[in-house]
Amino acid sequence: MTFQQARWDEPSVWDLAGSPTAEAPPAIPGIPERLRRKEAVRWPELSELEVVRHYTRLSQMNFGIDTAPYPLGSCTMKYNPKVTELLARRPGAAGVHPYQPEATVQGALEVFWRLERILARVTGLPEVSLQPAAGAHGEYAAMLMVRAYFRDQGELGQRTEVLLPDTAHGTNPASATMAGFTTREIRDKDGSVDLAELRRAVSNKTACFMLTNPNTAGLFESEILEIAETVHSAGAMLYYDGANLNAILGVTHPGRMGFDVAHLNLHKTFSTPHGGGGPGAGVLAAGEKLGPYLPVPRIVKEGRKFRLDYDRPKSIGKIKTAYGNFGLDLRAYAYILSYGEEGLKHVARRAVLNSNYVASRLGKYLPRPFRPLVKHEFVLSGAPLKERGVRTLDLAKRLLDEGVHAPTVYFPALVEESLMVELPETESKRELDGYVAAFERAITDTPEHLHAAPRSLAVSRVDEVRAAREPLLSWKDLRAASAKAETP
Amino acid sequence: MLDALGISSTDALFTDVPKRARIGRMGIGAGKEEPEVVAEVDRLLGRNRPLSQFASFLGGRISARYAPAAVDAIVSRSEFYTAYTPYQAEASQGMLRTLFEFQSLWVEMTGLDVANASLYDGATAAGEALLFCRRLHEGSRFLVPASLPWEERSVLENYASGPGLKVESVPYDDRTGRLDLDFVRAAVGQKDVFGLLADVPNGFGHIDEGVPELKSILGDVPLVVAADPLSLSVLEAPGNYGADVVVGEGQGFGIAPSFGGPLLGLFACRKEHVRSAPGRIVGATLDADGRRAYALTLVTREQHIRRSKATSNICTNESLMALAFVVYASTVGPRGLARLQSSLAEKARTLASGLGGIEGLKAPRFDAPYLGDFTLELGRGTAEEFLDRLRRRKVLGGHPLKDPRPGAPAEPERILVGVQETSTDKDIQKYVRAAQAAIAAVGRSA
Repeated sequence: MTFQQARWDEPSVWDLAGSPTAEAPPAIPGIPERLRRKEAVRWPELSELEVVRHYTRLSQMNFGIDTAPYPLGSCTMKYNPKVTELLARRPGAAGVHPYQPEATVQGALEVFWRLERILARVTGLPEVSLQPAAGAHGEYAAMLMVRAYFRDQGELGQRTEVLLPDTAHGTNPASATMAGFTTREIRDKDGSVDLAELRRAVSNKTACFMLTNPNTAGLFESEILEIAETVHSAGAMLYYDGANLNAILGVTHPGRMGFDVAHLNLHKTFSTPHGGGGPGAGVLAAGEKLGPYLPVPRIVKEGRKFRLDYDRPKSIGKIKTAYGNFGLDLRAYAYILSYGEEGLKHVARRAVLNSNYVASRLGKYLPRPFRPLVKHEFVLSGAPLKERGVRTLDLAKRLLDEGVHAPTVYFPALVEESLMVELPETESKRELDGYVAAFERAITDTPEHLHAAPRSLAVSRVDEVRAAREPLLSWKDLRAASAKAETP
Repeated sequence: MLDALGISSTDALFTDVPKRARIGRMGIGAGKEEPEVVAEVDRLLGRNRPLSQFASFLGGRISARYAPAAVDAIVSRSEFYTAYTPYQAEASQGMLRTLFEFQSLWVEMTGLDVANASLYDGATAAGEALLFCRRLHEGSRFLVPASLPWEERSVLENYASGPGLKVESVPYDDRTGRLDLDFVRAAVGQKDVFGLLADVPNGFGHIDEGVPELKSILGDVPLVVAADPLSLSVLEAPGNYGADVVVGEGQGFGIAPSFGGPLLGLFACRKEHVRSAPGRIVGATLDADGRRAYALTLVTREQHIRRSKATSNICTNESLMALAFVVYASTVGPRGLARLQSSLAEKARTLASGLGGIEGLKAPRFDAPYLGDFTLELGRGTAEEFLDRLRRRKVLGGHPLKDPRPGAPAEPERILVGVQETSTDKDIQKYVRAAQAAIAAVGRSA
């Protein structure tokens, strides 16, 4: 084990300077006394170097794709090409305000329009909006669209239920609930939708079935056409969660599979960086029934000019300020330009090849609960580790010591002690073999070492139970806790 | 790898996709080399006219404030920007500590106890606040100023629609733009109000002097304040006058306007309500060796654990923008922020008095304090025509305060004007001269 993360004994930003200033900010004419701030915001006065050094040191205590493989299942942590960063910082992109007159932002509108047209072809769904800030935001907007559609059909009072498989991402039931639906989970059969179970569950109360394909078990739902027929014959909508689109680019698409509406995550399939948690960029794509309900404004082309169109009487309105995460949309557009049709088809093939290759090799160490042919990701069960007193969590932490990121753990919940691994197309065979070797060293290590992991990172095993039991959520809490500790 | 799998082609890996579900070509063109991609994107971006080509006075929640170069230098550290959500705490202390510092800063600015690690933008933060209030209080009506920007109102209506809640306007005083407190009192008396949102500055850019009185009227009905972060460098922390939630749009702190995204949603609340709060929260704890460490916490509120019972569906947030926010504030410092706000207020007064002296214009439209934005009202012509005339003189004079959707109720011809950190005296004079000519021309054509 030769990896060692930086381990700076770095104070918090407020401990880098003396006591913050308590003086009152300058009075602004017209602001009444009771609205004036009496003391400046409690925050340190620092030199630029102090700030830069502090956050540079913090950055060195963080894993990113640029430092190591990052095989989080369902997160599609592919390389984020540098050229896209360069382009997003051009003054013509970063220095454009959303409320500028249309005549001065024709380029930005054209980028939106072109990207929408491309994504319409990628999804097979003709109407596209880039307004969602993230995938879950797109799901939520889609559920609002379904709701508005059934209201217009006079069926909202009756269609109150959204169905989802037990493999669904947690965002799906959460989004459906926020949109006012009740949710019901359909049990899987060997990791896929149990069609018989679905047939029993759908009814004239069903508004929508939300499905990820390939699903979070890494399996392609081969009965998708029958699923679509079942859902549609009950008069319900079929929703596509695009988190796993990477596996099927150019092979199939939501439109062909019979979906009515889809969300995509540009920060997964189309390589925009995930920023340590965000920003993302979501996409909504819809067929003819739900298309009229997409958020406004839509981007339209008239002759050679582009314009924001607000005249969509059925639209659900706005779901965020402005039009979408343009900075990310531009990166995704540049990514698609560079890959093109053949490149994107290759992306899916290579991602699926990587996944099957690593799955076949890791299958020697841990059981694979479902059929062997997987798509972009696969699931292992860490249950046998329990015989040695070891849990999946220990294995994940021990992997970090190898200088690689851990897989997604404890999801999907239908597999005991699950690990979900996704090593996208941008990882070379050498990296994949390196990951397998790291996995082998980790899993064959002693239980003592596994329990004690990690030892090579900025901190050792973090006590998350304590974090939740005794919440310390800000500097204010830390001050209160230390004042309490000092009181005899 | 094919050999290891005992297959001759990747076709064998897609036998689970039924033939009838296959597609042929997508039809998206051939790939390009990097120089061609750069040339193509630059060609498109060349059709934009960035703010730097104008004297810009676009105000509102999204700003083109200058960001010190240090901000982008840090945001460009790929350990930060190529990371995922910090699920593995030990490998992600850098981002976790950053988010903890960001949360701490928003707590200090707002006078509340707990902030989350960010939401999508100010409007969706307000939407989440609406649902949060409903978890704290019974009722079906959520009150908002009639002056709230239409986009935010529309977002709020969407958030309200799922659970069947109503967003209701509180009228404002025509002279001052202030909320009608008697209306609020009467509405609260009807017992069906579960929350009220007041924005500071309000949708007109002005400061409503009545906002600190709201909590005494609302009683146990939650008060949400939507605050501009820069304004909080000089204005009382809303937690000190009874706000239960403070949301805001954080884009102005180190984040480029980028045609409207990514933005940054800010959310803070009181500690006793933290288990009802939406979004990720970072907490301080210890590692196995007893050293300070950080982790995502109180996760039982969240979608990946609670699924349909979660407080919100949010998964991806705006962590990198939160980093920009805290680096910006730390670089500029609390005194620098207050000086900046003070200087914007002075420039705004100069511009408003210049515009207010022109026949046919009323500026500021409302008799209320302001910090950097204010409302200009036209005595004749339309806002669009007026702004178009300004644009031809390379002045972006603000944006119309109206809902552009057909069928929206008619509004007076009002423009939200905002001075910029980079606005010079010359820019301000240029606006005044251009406005003089524009309104005169509108008069002639009328």
